[in-house]
Amino acid sequence: MSYIHVSDLSKTYIVRKKKSGSFLAREKTEVKALQGMNFEAEQGELIGYIGPNGAGKSTTIKILSGILTPDSGEVTVGGVCPWKDRKRHVGRIGVVFGQRTQLWWDVPVRDSYDLLRDIYRVSRADYDSQLRRLTDVLDLEPLMNTPLRMLSLGQRMRVELAGSLLHRPELLFLDEPTIGLDAVSKLMIRDFLKQENRENGTTVMLTTHDMEDISALCSRVMVIGKGQKLYDGGLNELLSAYDTVHIMTVRYADPSVCPVLPEGCETVAEEDALKITYRPDAVPTPVLLSALQEAGTIRDLTAQPQNIDRLVADMYKEMGM
Amino acid sequence: MNTIRFYTHSIRMLMKSRLQYPLSFTVQTLAQLVMEAGEMLAVLLVIDRFGGLKEWSGGEMLIFFGVMSITFYMTEIFGRGITGGIDSMIRQGGMDTLLIRPRSIMEQMICRDVDPRRIGCIAVGLTALIAGSAQTGLTWTFIRILLLLEAVFFGMMMVLGLFLIEATCSIFSVRSLEMINALTYGGRSACQYPIDVFPRPIRLLFSVVAPFSLTLHVPVSFIVGKPLFGWPQWTAFVCPLSGAVILAVMTVVFNIGIKHYRSTGS
Repeated sequence: MSYIHVSDLSKTYIVRKKKSGSFLAREKTEVKALQGMNFEAEQGELIGYIGPNGAGKSTTIKILSGILTPDSGEVTVGGVCPWKDRKRHVGRIGVVFGQRTQLWWDVPVRDSYDLLRDIYRVSRADYDSQLRRLTDVLDLEPLMNTPLRMLSLGQRMRVELAGSLLHRPELLFLDEPTIGLDAVSKLMIRDFLKQENRENGTTVMLTTHDMEDISALCSRVMVIGKGQKLYDGGLNELLSAYDTVHIMTVRYADPSVCPVLPEGCETVAEEDALKITYRPDAVPTPVLLSALQEAGTIRDLTAQPQNIDRLVADMYKEMGM
Repeated sequence: MNTIRFYTHSIRMLMKSRLQYPLSFTVQTLAQLVMEAGEMLAVLLVIDRFGGLKEWSGGEMLIFFGVMSITFYMTEIFGRGITGGIDSMIRQGGMDTLLIRPRSIMEQMICRDVDPRRIGCIAVGLTALIAGSAQTGLTWTFIRILLLLEAVFFGMMMVLGLFLIEATCSIFSVRSLEMINALTYGGRSACQYPIDVFPRPIRLLFSVVAPFSLTLHVPVSFIVGKPLFGWPQWTAFVCPLSGAVILAVMTVVFNIGIKHYRSTGS
């Protein structure tokens, strides 16, 4: 059996709302967060989990990390069911929530880590070597004696990541780990996750709205919408299906050159450059390139894929979300 | 063993962070002292006006007050993780963090917080206890000390159990249940007076639902040498065990509640 096995997972929340105008009567509405989710994953995979807000991403992560009990369905992680054998399960995993801290707010980082060592029953030697490694890689030394509340968001995220890995978990869940971070912090965290996955074989599953996270990190991406899995596979395959429009910008040595282009290309002149919009399925890129080269000496040429966020938005729309 | 180590480690760490600002700590401790001294003043006024309540003398009333105060605020010092703001912690999704750690939830909740400022209240309680003993000429024999320790210990368990009712309700309800405070803080205020001064419904409330009378009044009435309702001495040792029963029952109920925990959106 696979390392992570999820079959037919369902979870419904009952939301009670007070009826307006009435004193006691309440309306009961059901929110189906998950409706028969299935997937398998092997150890060492780095999986990106995407979907619009409210699609069921966090619910999946919370069930897999032992926080929530589902209504029905089966889950095992390394042979253990998260909600039936919670303590055994969570000792082997690490969880990071981008929006919520798990360390002690008023306490210096080093003290928090020290207490985590006791909570996870990590031996002194193991802890020291792991902490040294994390401190080096994530550059934590200057933050160690600062209370958590005084750290910036980017610093805090690094600190939280290290905290979730002190007990050397074999599986790491990250719920929107790069939310609200600046470019430098984002890159640092991506590099770190890649390294952690490659060098220690840690299985990583992360949810995000930042498609750069996915393209930089994940070999596999799962899309969830309305509580069901809609796609499971490589990112490029996913994008190529929705990647309908390309843009190419070309500058000629002689700005007056006007190339003759195949049917289906739209050209807009921009200062000394030409911006060409085309559909790769109608006009293959090599055909367009040779047409451009025939017209004159090219000084500069840039190809731009369509904005990835727009692609994802189109995809969500087409999948009916 | 490991649990005790986890607890002492947490407490040490949290105390350190609480004492980081000594001035603020001192001021707040004094404020607590003044607040509790106000409570004691109310008892003193009753004593001054009526000389006592029913058959209880002023000194005996001070002993009841002192034991209650010590019990309740010891719970708040060491059990702050459960008595302090657990409802909002649960409602804001703080339980997520506890659930992803390989420790029982109760264990982690009790290790969550401490409140050393309540030492101000304990000081008032001790003063009352000492003043009461002096006034009644009570000698602290071994058996009396044992009864006192038992009353405080099981009283603390019962208070924790009562706060767990609130914690359990917060798992299911999004609204704060101030009603439960009638049992906890209300119980503390009412039961600093011996139970037999109250009318029947209140006696029942604080003997069956929140048995302050069993954990506290029964043993203390033996300490001062006036057994409540003329009950035999063994009852003074057995009744406080009800505190452990309340805590055990509420722990079971709370753990069932956790299964229905639904976290918050993110």
